[in-house]
Amino acid sequence: MRLTNDIAGQESNCSNAEAPLVDGRGIGKSFGTLMALAPLDISIGAGERVALAGPSGSGKSTLLYLLAGLVPPDRGELILDSQPVAGLQPGKELSEAVGLIQQQLDLVPQLPVIQNVLAGRLGQWGILRSLASLFSARERKSVEVVLSRLGVADKIDEPTSHLSGGEQQRVAIARLMIQAPKVLLADEPVSSLDPARAEEILRLLTGLVADTGGAMVASLHSPDLIREHFTRVIGLRHGILQFDIPARELTSTVLEALYDLDREPED
Amino acid sequence: MIWTGNPKIRSLARFFEARWFLSIVLVGVFLWSLTGVDWNGSIVHSGGGSSFKDFSLGLFPPELSPGFMKLAIIASWQTVVHAVAGMTLAVIIGLPLGVVASGSLGNPSRSRLAIAVVVRFVLAFMRSIHELVWAVLFVAAFGLSSLAAVMAIAVPYAGMLGRIYSEVLNDVPEGPLDGLRSAGGSSFSVLVYGRMPMAITDMLSYSFYRFECAIRAAAIMSFVGIRGLGFEIQLSLNDLLFGEVWTLLFFLFGLVLLVDYWSTRVRRSLDS
Repeated sequence: MRLTNDIAGQESNCSNAEAPLVDGRGIGKSFGTLMALAPLDISIGAGERVALAGPSGSGKSTLLYLLAGLVPPDRGELILDSQPVAGLQPGKELSEAVGLIQQQLDLVPQLPVIQNVLAGRLGQWGILRSLASLFSARERKSVEVVLSRLGVADKIDEPTSHLSGGEQQRVAIARLMIQAPKVLLADEPVSSLDPARAEEILRLLTGLVADTGGAMVASLHSPDLIREHFTRVIGLRHGILQFDIPARELTSTVLEALYDLDREPED
Repeated sequence: MIWTGNPKIRSLARFFEARWFLSIVLVGVFLWSLTGVDWNGSIVHSGGGSSFKDFSLGLFPPELSPGFMKLAIIASWQTVVHAVAGMTLAVIIGLPLGVVASGSLGNPSRSRLAIAVVVRFVLAFMRSIHELVWAVLFVAAFGLSSLAAVMAIAVPYAGMLGRIYSEVLNDVPEGPLDGLRSAGGSSFSVLVYGRMPMAITDMLSYSFYRFECAIRAAAIMSFVGIRGLGFEIQLSLNDLLFGEVWTLLFFLFGLVLLVDYWSTRVRRSLDS
Protein backbone atom coordinates (compact mmCIF):
# COMPACT_ATOMS: atom_id res chain seq x y z
CA MET A 1 0.00 0.00 0.00
CA ARG A 2 2.72 2.41 0.94
CA LEU A 3 4.67 1.44 -2.15
CA THR A 4 1.80 2.24 -4.53
CA ASN A 5 1.31 5.58 -2.87
CA ASP A 6 4.95 6.39 -3.33
CA ILE A 7 4.86 5.55 -7.01
CA ALA A 8 1.68 7.49 -7.54
CA GLY A 9 3.24 10.45 -5.75
CA GLN A 10 6.35 10.28 -7.91
CA GLU A 11 4.33 10.09 -11.09
CA SER A 12 2.26 13.11 -10.30
CA ASN A 13 5.48 14.93 -9.47
CA CYS A 14 6.96 14.03 -12.83
CA SER A 15 4.03 15.18 -14.92
CA ASN A 16 3.14 18.32 -13.02
CA ALA A 17 5.11 20.67 -10.87
CA GLU A 18 8.60 19.36 -11.46
CA ALA A 19 8.54 18.91 -15.22
CA PRO A 20 9.53 22.11 -17.03
CA LEU A 21 6.90 23.77 -19.21
CA VAL A 22 9.49 24.32 -21.93
CA ASP A 23 12.23 21.77 -22.47
CA GLY A 24 14.37 22.37 -25.55
CA ARG A 25 17.17 19.90 -26.09
CA GLY A 26 19.75 21.05 -28.60
CA ILE A 27 17.21 23.04 -30.64
CA GLY A 28 18.66 25.12 -33.47
CA LYS A 29 17.63 26.72 -36.73
CA SER A 30 19.39 27.74 -39.93
CA PHE A 31 17.99 29.69 -42.86
CA GLY A 32 20.02 28.54 -45.85
CA THR A 33 23.64 29.03 -44.86
CA LEU A 34 22.77 31.52 -42.12
CA MET A 35 22.87 29.99 -38.66
CA ALA A 36 20.03 31.88 -37.02
CA LEU A 37 20.22 29.94 -33.79
CA ALA A 38 23.01 27.56 -32.80
CA PRO A 39 21.78 24.43 -31.01
CA LEU A 40 21.05 25.23 -27.38
CA ASP A 41 19.39 23.67 -24.36
CA ILE A 42 16.65 25.67 -22.72
CA SER A 43 14.46 24.63 -19.84
CA ILE A 44 11.79 26.86 -18.34
CA GLY A 45 9.63 25.95 -15.37
CA ALA A 46 6.27 27.23 -14.17
CA GLY A 47 6.42 30.71 -12.65
CA GLU A 48 9.61 31.67 -14.47
CA ARG A 49 9.79 34.92 -16.37
CA VAL A 50 12.66 34.79 -18.84
CA ALA A 51 14.05 37.82 -20.64
CA LEU A 52 15.88 37.39 -23.95
CA ALA A 53 18.56 40.00 -24.54
CA GLY A 54 20.86 40.54 -27.47
CA PRO A 55 21.45 42.83 -30.45
CA SER A 56 19.26 42.72 -33.58
CA GLY A 57 19.79 39.53 -35.54
CA SER A 58 21.01 37.65 -32.48
CA GLY A 59 18.34 34.96 -32.80
CA LYS A 60 15.84 36.19 -30.21
CA SER A 61 12.91 36.21 -32.61
CA THR A 62 13.96 32.87 -34.08
CA LEU A 63 14.00 31.32 -30.61
CA LEU A 64 10.56 32.75 -29.86
CA TYR A 65 9.17 31.46 -33.16
CA LEU A 66 10.65 28.01 -32.42
CA LEU A 67 9.10 28.00 -28.95
CA ALA A 68 5.77 29.11 -30.44
CA GLY A 69 5.81 26.09 -32.73
CA LEU A 70 5.46 28.41 -35.76
CA VAL A 71 8.86 27.34 -37.13
CA PRO A 72 10.07 23.75 -36.75
CA PRO A 73 13.63 23.39 -35.39
CA ASP A 74 16.24 21.93 -37.79
CA ARG A 75 17.73 19.87 -35.03
CA GLY A 76 17.08 18.92 -31.46
CA GLU A 77 13.81 18.27 -29.74
CA LEU A 78 11.35 20.70 -28.20
CA ILE A 79 9.08 19.49 -25.42
CA LEU A 80 6.20 21.72 -24.32
CA ASP A 81 4.29 20.83 -21.19
CA SER A 82 5.72 17.26 -21.24
CA GLN A 83 4.79 16.63 -24.87
CA PRO A 84 7.03 16.81 -27.97
CA VAL A 85 5.91 19.84 -29.95
CA ALA A 86 5.76 17.83 -33.18
CA GLY A 87 3.17 15.57 -31.54
CA LEU A 88 0.94 18.41 -30.37
CA GLN A 89 -2.23 18.89 -32.38
CA PRO A 90 -1.44 22.11 -34.30
CA GLY A 91 -4.57 24.12 -33.51
CA LYS A 92 -6.00 23.20 -30.13
CA GLU A 93 -3.18 21.64 -28.11
CA LEU A 94 -0.43 23.93 -29.34
CA SER A 95 -2.49 27.06 -28.64
CA GLU A 96 -3.18 25.80 -25.11
CA ALA A 97 0.55 25.34 -24.55
CA VAL A 98 2.02 28.52 -26.09
CA GLY A 99 0.88 31.91 -27.31
CA LEU A 100 2.87 34.68 -28.96
CA ILE A 101 2.66 38.47 -29.06
CA GLN A 102 4.61 39.58 -32.09
CA GLN A 103 6.81 42.60 -32.40
CA GLN A 104 4.50 44.41 -34.82
CA LEU A 105 1.44 43.19 -32.84
CA ASP A 106 0.12 41.86 -36.11
CA LEU A 107 -3.54 42.11 -35.47
CA VAL A 108 -5.83 41.99 -38.51
CA PRO A 109 -6.40 45.74 -39.04
CA GLN A 110 -9.71 45.38 -40.92
CA LEU A 111 -11.45 43.32 -38.23
CA PRO A 112 -13.26 44.94 -35.30
CA VAL A 113 -11.46 44.70 -31.96
CA ILE A 114 -13.77 42.00 -30.62
CA GLN A 115 -12.92 39.67 -33.52
CA ASN A 116 -9.19 40.17 -33.05
CA VAL A 117 -9.59 39.29 -29.37
CA LEU A 118 -11.81 36.29 -30.09
CA ALA A 119 -9.14 34.98 -32.47
CA GLY A 120 -7.56 33.71 -29.24
CA ARG A 121 -10.34 31.09 -29.24
CA LEU A 122 -9.70 29.83 -32.78
CA GLY A 123 -7.74 26.86 -31.43
CA GLN A 124 -10.78 25.72 -29.47
CA TRP A 125 -13.40 26.39 -32.13
CA GLY A 126 -14.31 24.25 -35.09
CA ILE A 127 -14.79 25.57 -38.61
CA LEU A 128 -18.51 26.31 -38.29
CA ARG A 129 -18.24 28.06 -34.95
CA SER A 130 -15.33 30.24 -36.18
CA LEU A 131 -17.30 31.19 -39.27
CA ALA A 132 -20.51 31.89 -37.33
CA SER A 133 -18.67 34.04 -34.80
CA LEU A 134 -17.32 36.23 -37.59
CA PHE A 135 -20.89 37.30 -38.37
CA SER A 136 -22.30 37.31 -34.86
CA ALA A 137 -19.55 37.44 -32.23
CA ARG A 138 -19.67 34.77 -29.56
CA GLU A 139 -18.61 35.09 -25.93
CA ARG A 140 -18.98 38.86 -26.00
CA LYS A 141 -19.20 38.94 -22.23
CA SER A 142 -15.75 37.45 -21.66
CA VAL A 143 -14.21 39.84 -24.21
CA GLU A 144 -15.83 42.77 -22.38
CA VAL A 145 -14.38 41.56 -19.07
CA VAL A 146 -10.88 41.23 -20.50
CA LEU A 147 -10.95 44.56 -22.35
CA SER A 148 -12.22 46.47 -19.32
CA ARG A 149 -9.40 44.97 -17.25
CA LEU A 150 -7.06 46.48 -19.84
CA GLY A 151 -8.94 49.78 -19.92
CA VAL A 152 -10.08 49.65 -23.55
CA ALA A 153 -13.62 48.28 -23.14
CA ASP A 154 -15.08 51.20 -25.10
CA LYS A 155 -13.18 50.16 -28.24
CA ILE A 156 -14.77 46.73 -28.50
CA ASP A 157 -16.64 47.34 -31.77
CA GLU A 158 -14.19 49.68 -33.47
CA PRO A 159 -12.10 48.62 -36.45
CA THR A 160 -8.69 47.67 -35.04
CA SER A 161 -6.92 49.99 -37.49
CA HIS A 162 -8.56 53.00 -35.78
CA LEU A 163 -6.76 52.28 -32.48
CA SER A 164 -3.50 53.86 -31.36
CA GLY A 165 -0.35 51.77 -30.99
CA GLY A 166 -0.77 51.53 -27.22
CA GLU A 167 -4.40 50.48 -27.56
CA GLN A 168 -3.51 47.83 -30.13
CA GLN A 169 -0.91 46.50 -27.70
CA ARG A 170 -3.72 45.95 -25.20
CA VAL A 171 -5.87 44.24 -27.80
CA ALA A 172 -2.97 41.85 -28.54
CA ILE A 173 -2.69 41.14 -24.81
CA ALA A 174 -6.46 40.68 -24.59
CA ARG A 175 -6.25 38.05 -27.33
CA LEU A 176 -3.58 36.25 -25.31
CA MET A 177 -5.72 36.47 -22.16
CA ILE A 178 -8.61 34.85 -24.05
CA GLN A 179 -6.25 32.20 -25.41
CA ALA A 180 -4.71 31.68 -21.93
CA PRO A 181 -1.68 29.60 -22.98
CA LYS A 182 0.61 28.04 -20.37
CA VAL A 183 3.68 29.67 -21.88
CA LEU A 184 3.43 33.28 -22.95
CA LEU A 185 5.90 34.50 -25.57
CA ALA A 186 6.41 38.15 -26.46
CA ASP A 187 8.70 39.51 -29.16
CA GLU A 188 9.89 42.97 -28.05
CA PRO A 189 6.57 43.83 -26.39
CA VAL A 190 7.76 47.24 -25.19
CA SER A 191 10.15 48.30 -27.96
CA SER A 192 8.00 51.16 -29.26
CA LEU A 193 6.57 52.37 -25.95
CA ASP A 194 7.46 55.19 -23.59
CA PRO A 195 8.82 54.11 -20.17
CA ALA A 196 5.51 54.50 -18.31
CA ARG A 197 3.62 52.45 -20.88
CA ALA A 198 6.37 49.83 -21.06
CA GLU A 199 6.18 49.47 -17.30
CA GLU A 200 2.41 49.03 -17.47
CA ILE A 201 2.46 46.48 -20.28
CA LEU A 202 5.03 44.37 -18.46
CA ARG A 203 2.93 44.52 -15.28
CA LEU A 204 -0.07 43.30 -17.27
CA LEU A 205 1.93 40.45 -18.77
CA THR A 206 3.44 39.34 -15.45
CA GLY A 207 -0.03 39.55 -13.91
CA LEU A 208 -1.34 37.30 -16.66
CA VAL A 209 1.45 34.77 -16.01
CA ALA A 210 0.71 34.85 -12.29
CA ASP A 211 -2.98 34.17 -13.00
CA THR A 212 -2.39 31.17 -15.23
CA GLY A 213 0.52 29.80 -13.20
CA GLY A 214 2.50 29.49 -16.42
CA ALA A 215 5.73 30.99 -17.65
CA MET A 216 6.78 33.88 -19.86
CA VAL A 217 9.56 34.49 -22.34
CA ALA A 218 10.02 37.99 -23.72
CA SER A 219 12.74 39.74 -25.68
CA LEU A 220 13.68 43.25 -24.56
CA HIS A 221 16.72 45.47 -24.16
CA SER A 222 16.29 47.55 -21.01
CA PRO A 223 18.36 46.20 -18.08
CA ASP A 224 16.16 48.05 -15.57
CA LEU A 225 12.97 46.47 -16.89
CA ILE A 226 14.66 43.06 -17.02
CA ARG A 227 15.81 43.26 -13.40
CA GLU A 228 12.45 44.52 -12.22
CA HIS A 229 10.04 42.22 -14.06
CA PHE A 230 11.95 39.05 -14.85
CA THR A 231 13.44 36.17 -12.88
CA ARG A 232 16.01 35.11 -15.41
CA VAL A 233 17.84 36.51 -18.40
CA ILE A 234 19.30 34.75 -21.44
CA GLY A 235 21.85 36.55 -23.61
CA LEU A 236 22.13 35.75 -27.33
CA ARG A 237 24.62 37.01 -29.87
CA HIS A 238 24.99 35.86 -33.49
CA GLY A 239 22.61 33.03 -32.65
CA ILE A 240 24.87 31.73 -29.90
CA LEU A 241 23.96 31.49 -26.23
CA GLN A 242 26.18 33.89 -24.22
CA PHE A 243 24.75 33.58 -20.72
CA ASP A 244 21.77 32.28 -18.80
CA ILE A 245 21.68 33.91 -15.37
CA PRO A 246 19.21 35.10 -12.73
CA ALA A 247 17.93 38.55 -13.72
CA ARG A 248 19.19 40.20 -10.52
CA GLU A 249 22.76 39.24 -11.50
CA LEU A 250 22.52 41.18 -14.76
CA THR A 251 25.12 43.94 -14.62
CA SER A 252 25.75 46.69 -17.11
CA THR A 253 29.19 45.19 -17.90
CA VAL A 254 27.58 41.91 -18.93
CA LEU A 255 25.03 43.71 -21.07
CA GLU A 256 27.58 46.06 -22.67
CA ALA A 257 29.70 43.10 -23.71
CA LEU A 258 26.58 41.51 -25.22
CA TYR A 259 25.75 44.55 -27.33
CA ASP A 260 29.38 45.49 -28.16
CA LEU A 261 29.46 46.26 -31.90
CA ASP A 262 33.18 45.61 -32.38
CA ARG A 263 33.32 42.13 -30.97
CA GLU A 264 33.71 39.43 -33.62
CA PRO A 265 31.43 36.38 -33.59
CA GLU A 266 33.14 33.51 -31.83
CA ASP A 267 33.01 30.25 -33.78
CA MET B 1 6.56 29.86 -58.57
CA ILE B 2 6.63 26.10 -58.71
CA TRP B 3 9.94 25.66 -60.47
CA THR B 4 12.12 27.84 -58.23
CA GLY B 5 13.73 24.69 -56.80
CA ASN B 6 15.92 24.09 -59.82
CA PRO B 7 18.75 26.66 -60.06
CA LYS B 8 19.26 26.11 -63.80
CA ILE B 9 15.61 26.75 -64.63
CA ARG B 10 15.56 29.60 -62.16
CA SER B 11 18.39 31.44 -63.89
CA LEU B 12 16.70 30.76 -67.23
CA ALA B 13 13.44 32.19 -65.89
CA ARG B 14 15.30 35.24 -64.57
CA PHE B 15 16.82 35.74 -68.02
CA PHE B 16 13.39 35.81 -69.66
CA GLU B 17 12.00 38.08 -66.96
CA ALA B 18 14.84 40.59 -67.30
CA ARG B 19 13.59 44.06 -68.19
CA TRP B 20 16.01 44.63 -71.07
CA PHE B 21 15.06 41.31 -72.64
CA LEU B 22 11.35 42.08 -72.49
CA SER B 23 11.94 45.60 -73.83
CA ILE B 24 13.87 44.32 -76.86
CA VAL B 25 11.21 41.71 -77.62
CA LEU B 26 8.37 44.26 -77.38
CA VAL B 27 10.14 46.86 -79.54
CA GLY B 28 11.07 44.11 -82.02
CA VAL B 29 7.48 42.91 -82.29
CA PHE B 30 6.30 46.47 -82.90
CA LEU B 31 8.87 47.07 -85.66
CA TRP B 32 8.02 43.74 -87.23
CA SER B 33 4.31 44.62 -87.19
CA LEU B 34 5.06 47.75 -89.27
CA THR B 35 6.25 45.51 -92.12
CA GLY B 36 2.74 44.05 -92.23
CA VAL B 37 1.20 47.41 -93.17
CA ASP B 38 0.66 48.04 -96.90
CA TRP B 39 2.18 51.55 -97.04
CA ASN B 40 1.49 52.06 -100.75
CA GLY B 41 -2.22 51.29 -100.57
CA SER B 42 -4.65 53.66 -98.92
CA ILE B 43 -4.35 53.41 -95.17
CA VAL B 44 -7.44 55.51 -94.71
CA HIS B 45 -10.64 54.38 -96.44
CA SER B 46 -11.39 57.01 -99.08
CA GLY B 47 -15.12 57.14 -98.37
CA GLY B 48 -14.48 57.33 -94.63
CA GLY B 49 -14.68 61.10 -94.45
CA SER B 50 -18.31 61.34 -95.43
CA SER B 51 -19.31 58.42 -93.19
CA PHE B 52 -17.58 60.11 -90.33
CA LYS B 53 -19.46 63.32 -91.06
CA ASP B 54 -22.81 61.52 -91.18
CA PHE B 55 -22.01 59.77 -87.93
CA SER B 56 -21.03 63.03 -86.21
CA LEU B 57 -24.15 64.80 -87.47
CA GLY B 58 -26.27 62.05 -85.92
CA LEU B 59 -25.43 63.61 -82.57
CA PHE B 60 -27.54 66.69 -83.46
CA PRO B 61 -29.89 65.63 -82.12
CA PRO B 62 -29.81 61.99 -81.05
CA GLU B 63 -33.05 60.01 -81.41
CA LEU B 64 -35.11 60.86 -78.32
CA SER B 65 -38.66 59.84 -79.34
CA PRO B 66 -40.58 58.07 -76.54
CA GLY B 67 -40.91 54.89 -78.57
CA PHE B 68 -37.18 54.63 -79.15
CA MET B 69 -36.34 55.58 -75.56
CA LYS B 70 -38.52 52.70 -74.42
CA LEU B 71 -36.66 50.37 -76.75
CA ALA B 72 -33.30 51.65 -75.47
CA ILE B 73 -34.36 51.15 -71.86
CA ILE B 74 -35.48 47.59 -72.55
CA ALA B 75 -32.22 46.86 -74.38
CA SER B 76 -30.20 48.36 -71.50
CA TRP B 77 -32.17 46.28 -69.04
CA GLN B 78 -31.39 43.11 -71.01
CA THR B 79 -27.71 44.01 -71.06
CA VAL B 80 -27.64 44.73 -67.34
CA VAL B 81 -29.45 41.48 -66.55
CA HIS B 82 -26.96 39.47 -68.58
CA ALA B 83 -24.02 41.25 -66.96
CA VAL B 84 -25.34 40.92 -63.39
CA ALA B 85 -26.29 37.27 -63.77
CA GLY B 86 -23.01 36.42 -65.53
CA MET B 87 -20.97 38.29 -62.95
CA THR B 88 -22.81 36.70 -60.02
CA LEU B 89 -22.16 33.26 -61.42
CA ALA B 90 -18.53 34.22 -62.09
CA VAL B 91 -18.03 35.21 -58.44
CA ILE B 92 -19.74 32.03 -57.21
CA ILE B 93 -17.45 29.90 -59.39
CA GLY B 94 -14.33 32.08 -59.16
CA LEU B 95 -14.15 32.51 -55.40
CA PRO B 96 -13.79 28.83 -54.39
CA LEU B 97 -11.52 28.13 -57.35
CA GLY B 98 -9.39 31.15 -56.43
CA VAL B 99 -9.11 29.98 -52.82
CA VAL B 100 -8.00 26.52 -53.94
CA ALA B 101 -5.59 27.99 -56.52
CA SER B 102 -4.02 30.18 -53.82
CA GLY B 103 -3.02 26.97 -52.01
CA SER B 104 -3.88 28.51 -48.65
CA LEU B 105 -6.29 25.82 -47.49
CA GLY B 106 -5.26 22.57 -45.85
CA ASN B 107 -1.85 21.47 -44.64
CA PRO B 108 1.14 22.22 -46.84
CA SER B 109 1.73 19.09 -48.86
CA ARG B 110 2.66 17.87 -52.30
CA SER B 111 -0.91 16.89 -53.16
CA ARG B 112 -2.25 20.29 -52.17
CA LEU B 113 0.30 21.95 -54.44
CA ALA B 114 -0.70 19.59 -57.27
CA ILE B 115 -4.39 20.46 -56.86
CA ALA B 116 -3.57 24.17 -56.80
CA VAL B 117 -1.57 23.85 -60.03
CA VAL B 118 -4.36 21.92 -61.76
CA VAL B 119 -6.93 24.54 -60.71
CA ARG B 120 -4.63 27.31 -61.96
CA PHE B 121 -4.53 25.59 -65.33
CA VAL B 122 -8.32 25.30 -65.39
CA LEU B 123 -8.65 29.01 -64.57
CA ALA B 124 -6.13 29.87 -67.30
CA PHE B 125 -8.12 27.83 -69.81
CA MET B 126 -11.40 29.52 -68.86
CA ARG B 127 -10.04 33.04 -69.34
CA SER B 128 -7.79 32.38 -72.33
CA ILE B 129 -10.87 32.05 -74.55
CA HIS B 130 -12.59 35.37 -75.25
CA GLU B 131 -16.16 35.85 -74.05
CA LEU B 132 -17.35 36.24 -77.65
CA VAL B 133 -15.91 32.83 -78.54
CA TRP B 134 -17.57 31.34 -75.47
CA ALA B 135 -20.77 33.05 -76.67
CA VAL B 136 -20.54 31.29 -80.03
CA LEU B 137 -20.07 27.96 -78.24
CA PHE B 138 -22.93 28.53 -75.80
CA VAL B 139 -25.27 29.78 -78.52
CA ALA B 140 -24.56 26.53 -80.32
CA ALA B 141 -25.40 24.66 -77.13
CA PHE B 142 -28.35 26.64 -75.72
CA GLY B 143 -29.60 28.60 -78.73
CA LEU B 144 -30.00 32.41 -78.87
CA SER B 145 -31.04 32.67 -75.24
CA SER B 146 -30.11 34.72 -72.21
CA LEU B 147 -28.58 31.59 -70.74
CA ALA B 148 -25.96 31.58 -73.49
CA ALA B 149 -25.08 35.22 -72.78
CA VAL B 150 -24.87 34.62 -69.02
CA MET B 151 -22.66 31.56 -69.41
CA ALA B 152 -20.45 33.31 -71.97
CA ILE B 153 -19.70 35.98 -69.37
CA ALA B 154 -19.58 33.68 -66.33
CA VAL B 155 -16.97 31.24 -67.61
CA PRO B 156 -14.11 33.54 -68.72
CA TYR B 157 -14.81 36.03 -65.92
CA ALA B 158 -14.68 33.27 -63.30
CA GLY B 159 -11.26 32.43 -64.73
CA MET B 160 -10.06 36.03 -64.33
CA LEU B 161 -11.62 36.53 -60.90
CA GLY B 162 -10.23 33.21 -59.62
CA ARG B 163 -6.74 34.10 -60.72
CA ILE B 164 -6.82 37.60 -59.21
CA TYR B 165 -8.50 36.37 -55.99
CA SER B 166 -5.79 33.76 -55.53
CA GLU B 167 -3.04 36.34 -56.01
CA VAL B 168 -4.62 38.89 -53.69
CA LEU B 169 -5.21 36.24 -51.00
CA ASN B 170 -1.55 35.25 -51.21
CA ASP B 171 -0.28 38.82 -51.18
CA VAL B 172 -1.54 39.80 -47.71
CA PRO B 173 1.08 40.49 -45.00
CA GLU B 174 2.25 37.33 -43.22
CA GLY B 175 2.49 38.86 -39.73
CA PRO B 176 -1.21 38.89 -38.82
CA LEU B 177 -1.53 35.37 -40.26
CA ASP B 178 1.24 34.13 -37.98
CA GLY B 179 -0.59 35.79 -35.11
CA LEU B 180 -3.74 33.83 -35.93
CA ARG B 181 -1.75 30.61 -36.31
CA SER B 182 -0.12 31.06 -32.93
CA ALA B 183 -3.60 31.56 -31.47
CA GLY B 184 -4.44 28.10 -32.79
CA GLY B 185 -6.11 29.08 -36.06
CA SER B 186 -6.49 26.35 -38.69
CA SER B 187 -5.79 27.18 -42.32
CA PHE B 188 -9.52 27.76 -42.73
CA SER B 189 -9.78 30.21 -39.84
CA VAL B 190 -6.59 31.94 -41.02
CA LEU B 191 -8.36 32.32 -44.38
CA VAL B 192 -11.61 33.79 -43.03
CA TYR B 193 -10.13 35.79 -40.11
CA GLY B 194 -6.93 36.96 -41.82
CA ARG B 195 -6.62 36.63 -45.58
CA MET B 196 -10.23 37.48 -46.49
CA PRO B 197 -10.61 40.62 -44.33
CA MET B 198 -7.23 41.91 -45.49
CA ALA B 199 -7.89 41.15 -49.17
CA ILE B 200 -11.60 42.00 -49.41
CA THR B 201 -11.17 45.62 -50.56
CA ASP B 202 -8.87 44.64 -53.41
CA MET B 203 -11.08 41.69 -54.34
CA LEU B 204 -14.18 43.88 -54.41
CA SER B 205 -12.62 46.67 -56.41
CA TYR B 206 -11.33 44.21 -58.99
CA SER B 207 -14.76 42.55 -59.15
CA PHE B 208 -16.39 45.92 -59.77
CA TYR B 209 -13.90 46.68 -62.51
CA ARG B 210 -14.77 43.31 -64.05
CA PHE B 211 -18.47 44.10 -63.66
CA GLU B 212 -17.90 47.19 -65.77
CA CYS B 213 -16.21 45.01 -68.38
CA ALA B 214 -19.11 42.57 -68.13
CA ILE B 215 -21.57 45.35 -69.04
CA ARG B 216 -19.58 46.09 -72.17
CA ALA B 217 -19.20 42.38 -72.94
CA ALA B 218 -22.95 41.85 -72.52
CA ALA B 219 -23.61 44.71 -74.94
CA ILE B 220 -21.25 43.20 -77.51
CA MET B 221 -22.94 39.78 -77.35
CA SER B 222 -25.17 41.01 -80.20
CA PHE B 223 -22.51 40.01 -82.68
CA VAL B 224 -23.59 36.44 -82.18
CA GLY B 225 -27.26 37.47 -82.15
CA ILE B 226 -28.06 37.80 -78.46
CA ARG B 227 -30.44 40.66 -77.58
CA GLY B 228 -29.26 43.76 -75.72
CA LEU B 229 -27.83 47.23 -76.31
CA GLY B 230 -25.28 46.02 -78.85
CA PHE B 231 -27.97 44.24 -80.84
CA GLU B 232 -29.92 47.51 -81.23
CA ILE B 233 -26.72 49.44 -82.02
CA GLN B 234 -25.98 47.00 -84.80
CA LEU B 235 -29.52 47.26 -86.23
CA SER B 236 -29.41 51.08 -86.19
CA LEU B 237 -25.95 51.11 -87.74
CA ASN B 238 -27.11 48.83 -90.55
CA ASP B 239 -29.96 51.24 -91.26
CA LEU B 240 -27.53 54.21 -91.07
CA LEU B 241 -29.70 55.74 -88.32
CA PHE B 242 -26.83 57.44 -86.50
CA GLY B 243 -29.13 59.42 -84.19
CA GLU B 244 -30.33 56.13 -82.73
CA VAL B 245 -26.77 54.86 -82.44
CA TRP B 246 -25.83 57.89 -80.38
CA THR B 247 -28.77 57.42 -78.03
CA LEU B 248 -27.83 53.80 -77.47
CA LEU B 249 -24.16 54.72 -76.90
CA PHE B 250 -25.24 57.24 -74.27
CA PHE B 251 -27.21 54.52 -72.52
CA LEU B 252 -24.15 52.25 -72.51
CA PHE B 253 -22.01 55.11 -71.21
CA GLY B 254 -24.61 55.80 -68.51
CA LEU B 255 -24.56 52.17 -67.38
CA VAL B 256 -20.78 52.14 -67.03
CA LEU B 257 -20.87 55.43 -65.10
CA LEU B 258 -23.51 54.01 -62.79
CA VAL B 259 -21.40 50.95 -62.00
CA ASP B 260 -18.39 53.17 -61.44
CA TYR B 261 -20.32 55.36 -59.00
CA TRP B 262 -21.68 52.35 -57.15
CA SER B 263 -18.26 50.69 -56.83
CA THR B 264 -16.73 53.91 -55.48
CA ARG B 265 -19.47 54.11 -52.86
CA VAL B 266 -19.01 50.48 -51.79
CA ARG B 267 -15.22 50.76 -51.59
CA ARG B 268 -15.43 53.97 -49.58
CA SER B 269 -17.74 52.34 -47.06
CA LEU B 270 -15.30 49.42 -46.74
CA ASP B 271 -12.25 51.62 -46.28
CA SER B 272 -13.69 53.72 -43.50
